[in-house]
Amino acid sequence: MSADVELSDVSVTFGSFYAAKNVNVKVNGGEFFSFLGPSGCGKTTLLRAISGFQEPSEGKVLIDNKDMSGIGPNKRPTALIFQNLALFPLMSVSENIAFSLEVRGVSKEERKKRADELLELIALEGQGEKKVHQLSGGQKQRVAIARALAVEPKVLLLDEPLSALDLKLRQRMRTELREIQKRVNITFIYITHDQGEALTMSDRIAVMNEGELEQIGKCDEVYNNPLTPFVATFVGENNPLYGKVTGIEGDKAQIETADGQYLAMMNDSKKLNIGDESIAFVRPESLFIPRDGDSFDNKIDVNIESFEFEGNLKNFYARLQSGAKIKFSVPNAIDTSSISSGSSIALGFDSSKSVILPKASLAID
Amino acid sequence: MMGIYIFIFFAYLFGPLIIMSITAFNSAEFPSITPWECFSFRWFNEGKIAYDGQHLAGLLSDWRLHDGIISSLIIGAGVVTLSVPIGMAAAIVLTQVRSQLRDIYYSISIMPVLFPGVIIGISTVVLWDRIAGLGGEGFISDIGRNGIFLTILAQTCFISTYCFLIFVARLQRFDQTQEEAALDLGASQTQVFFKILVPYLSPAIASAAVIAFLFSFENYNTTVFSILSDQTLTTVIASKVRLGISPALSALALTIIALTIIAAVTYEVLRRRAEKRYAESQEKFVKEKAADNRINKKYKAGFKIPKGITAILLIVVFATYGATQIVKNDLYGQSCIDAADKEKKSKFLEQLQTLESNELTDEELSGGSLGGNQDYGDIFGDPSLFQDFGGFD
Amino acid sequence: MKNFLFTQPFFKKNGKAVAIYFLVAIIFWFVFLVIIPQFYMLDLSFRTNVPPLARGGPEDYYTFEHYSHFIFGSKTATDAFNFVDLGVFGRTIFVSMLVTIANLLFCYPIAFYIAKIANPSTARLLIVSLIIPFWINELLRSFALRILFANEGVINNFLTGIGILDQGILFITYDIGLYTGLIYAYILLMMFPLYNAIESLDINQIEAAKDLGSSSFRTHWRIVIPHAKPGIVSGCTMVFMLTVGALATPVVLSSPNTLWFPQLIYQWFNMNDNWSRGSAYSIILLIVSVIFVLTMMRIFKVRIGEIIK
Repeated sequence: MSADVELSDVSVTFGSFYAAKNVNVKVNGGEFFSFLGPSGCGKTTLLRAISGFQEPSEGKVLIDNKDMSGIGPNKRPTALIFQNLALFPLMSVSENIAFSLEVRGVSKEERKKRADELLELIALEGQGEKKVHQLSGGQKQRVAIARALAVEPKVLLLDEPLSALDLKLRQRMRTELREIQKRVNITFIYITHDQGEALTMSDRIAVMNEGELEQIGKCDEVYNNPLTPFVATFVGENNPLYGKVTGIEGDKAQIETADGQYLAMMNDSKKLNIGDESIAFVRPESLFIPRDGDSFDNKIDVNIESFEFEGNLKNFYARLQSGAKIKFSVPNAIDTSSISSGSSIALGFDSSKSVILPKASLAID
Repeated sequence: MMGIYIFIFFAYLFGPLIIMSITAFNSAEFPSITPWECFSFRWFNEGKIAYDGQHLAGLLSDWRLHDGIISSLIIGAGVVTLSVPIGMAAAIVLTQVRSQLRDIYYSISIMPVLFPGVIIGISTVVLWDRIAGLGGEGFISDIGRNGIFLTILAQTCFISTYCFLIFVARLQRFDQTQEEAALDLGASQTQVFFKILVPYLSPAIASAAVIAFLFSFENYNTTVFSILSDQTLTTVIASKVRLGISPALSALALTIIALTIIAAVTYEVLRRRAEKRYAESQEKFVKEKAADNRINKKYKAGFKIPKGITAILLIVVFATYGATQIVKNDLYGQSCIDAADKEKKSKFLEQLQTLESNELTDEELSGGSLGGNQDYGDIFGDPSLFQDFGGFD
Repeated sequence: MKNFLFTQPFFKKNGKAVAIYFLVAIIFWFVFLVIIPQFYMLDLSFRTNVPPLARGGPEDYYTFEHYSHFIFGSKTATDAFNFVDLGVFGRTIFVSMLVTIANLLFCYPIAFYIAKIANPSTARLLIVSLIIPFWINELLRSFALRILFANEGVINNFLTGIGILDQGILFITYDIGLYTGLIYAYILLMMFPLYNAIESLDINQIEAAKDLGSSSFRTHWRIVIPHAKPGIVSGCTMVFMLTVGALATPVVLSSPNTLWFPQLIYQWFNMNDNWSRGSAYSIILLIVSVIFVLTMMRIFKVRIGEIIK
């Protein structure tokens, strides 16, 4: 049922512009795989290359180890769910779902049977006669999925299909998509600029920037152990601390910044040398207000500027002595009433929760 | 201030048409309101035998008009079958032409409507006359000199542009991902065309067909050249107008106006009904989704008497008043017409005598006000027409 | 070639059958209906007028005689120039321009009213009322005016009837009927481009101008008219072209003594059976039309796509 998808050295150029550059990915059969990146990073181009709407300028797309070059989108074992869904407005829901069978010449009874099955799968039984414009956003979403599944594809490609929905519905659809994927057990390749979506649904994610792959890995891996400053700041929030490497001990490095020295974890693949310009990253939730008995190896003095209440968390915005901004979050369960704007406090964080990377540009977000 | 101007403007638009419509009911030979002879439907029916013995055909008895209408219908059908597919093909290809070429392609497509109509007619005729000349005696020679065939080609030349523009407008709102979605679901390119694009374009196909037919039906400038020895409705009308204006033409115009208004009203009603149906389905959907009272309230629009009713009432009042006046003064019916004819016949005899004594007056009478352009007064058809439609005064 | 002309390979994109239909339809239209007839007419206009049997014979050669006839008259004429034809031509162009300007002046207030002042239902009613008269044949509309303007027509009968005039005014002889008819004939083609252009103007701009103390005239001159420029150009071009090429209205309404230029073409073509000369005069008309469109595009800096929508 499911199939591997492999992109081998795929580049797509428009004139002299590289929409995708030397991309190498192998998506395993049955996997929920996401491409994550800001708009214009080339992820939609990659999706179009997989579905056959865009021939790669260089490299190959392999599905089930078969080279797909020269094979049109209507001949590939993939189905695409478009960003705007592209449901056919002149057809009923059932006709939409059974369209792929209709063009293959499947008989009417057969089509109806299959459409009903799929309607059941997406919990829209008995609504097949409705017109598309009579459905709500979430229902349209599900019809688009059913329509794509009717082809019995080996790979389902999803191009930011949730972006038009409101927050609550989006969150529900995430779970639903995940469940549908488990039930039909085919490869899902999902495209999004929303890191929350990517992290909650995917088995693995690939982070893209300006046409190039920055990092591929499991969600927690990418989150906890980013390989580039771009990934560190695009996936989740991160506070950068700029400085120079002054010492290396094992897998940790010492960084000297304008506000003091910190210790942070090094990535295996990116070796740093003493004297290198580098950035240490620490996430808002890894910074904490130390209490007796807490163990930590970095201390940082900040001056609180403002705070906001987010429900489960309270976010504080503060400045270091050098003027650099820093954000930290405290669980609402902890009493922070003594901290007010203008007060100076000391924060702590553990070196194992901080990452040091060679200096490069951040995600502007 | 603005109100007065709008009133004058619309009076300018409608005044002549209304007056013309009224003249259709006056039994006098010359379309007029004053003097009002008798109220009559004769110009819609058989016309009349004039006091000097000439026959003035009415709508029903005018075979020349009937023939013209039939050829106009044939031409209209031909033009629709050619120009709608051409316009559609050209509009779809416009979306696929490279952007550098798009301006040139577009310019060529709209060129025909910028050409004066006479030129399209002439160029078609001269070309096909040449082709017919080369083709010897056979089929080609026949169709090359067939007025109806040439008119269909000539009209298709520029009416295709109108169709093209209608399709372009609709295609601009087409969501191209629909095509991609269909392809992705396994449809072939041909299936995409017939199952996605054509259904999407079907409203445009309908309106292009209607527009093409109407433009064809009422075209004169091109047709008058390309029709050769045949006649269409418009060339018949033109020859009648040249030879003297008759109330039968008022009757024809009124018939066309009535048909137009009926068609316009039907179209408007259908459109509103469709809109309402769509709104209802949306409303139902909204209600299903939200039991919120506020939303339900918003959809409860009050019933209002349409403004149009007042206008209709006014017309009814005027019509009733006019009708009672006509009946009161005994201006309706055969007796009235007979009386008027008798009077005129005697006057005519008198006139004839004066004419005989003075030839100069004769010339003045036959030219002048309605005989029309003497320079080439006889170009529009055979002289026998003149007998049916003499210039009367 | 495919990739040179089209964004995507043409046959692959459309499928073979549909692609062939597209190509056949477009080539039939462009080549057989538009281009070849025009070029053949151009060719004919430079040839002598010979009967069909003599074609290709020694009498059939290329000549400028038809064009020189237009300017200088026949070889036997005594006048230096062909004042009759040139006069008809000049008058046609001049009157067409006046008709165009008159249409613009008449339509502008109405278009503005419908687009920006009237409430939606009134606007809709007015638009429908504008359209209805124009579904009626141009000939019949002209005929309606002829009933009014004839020497013993409705207006004259009315005026003499109530005693204002002793004798009717010769509306047709003085071409008053013709000019009124020409203005009447294509007024809708001025109205709609104007309306569409003004309609797209943000009402806030007008209000902002008023708020800044601009007089109503100034608001129109500085805000509305510049915004409506493409519509004005479009309307003027369409009206001018149709007026210059009009045949139906002059046939019904022109006085016996004057001709409209297309009538002159008609005369050469059908009455005098001189197709070559008729073609030459047609080419002259075509050139004038093309020059007019190009001039409008150049002066007002609009693209052809904005003129015809």
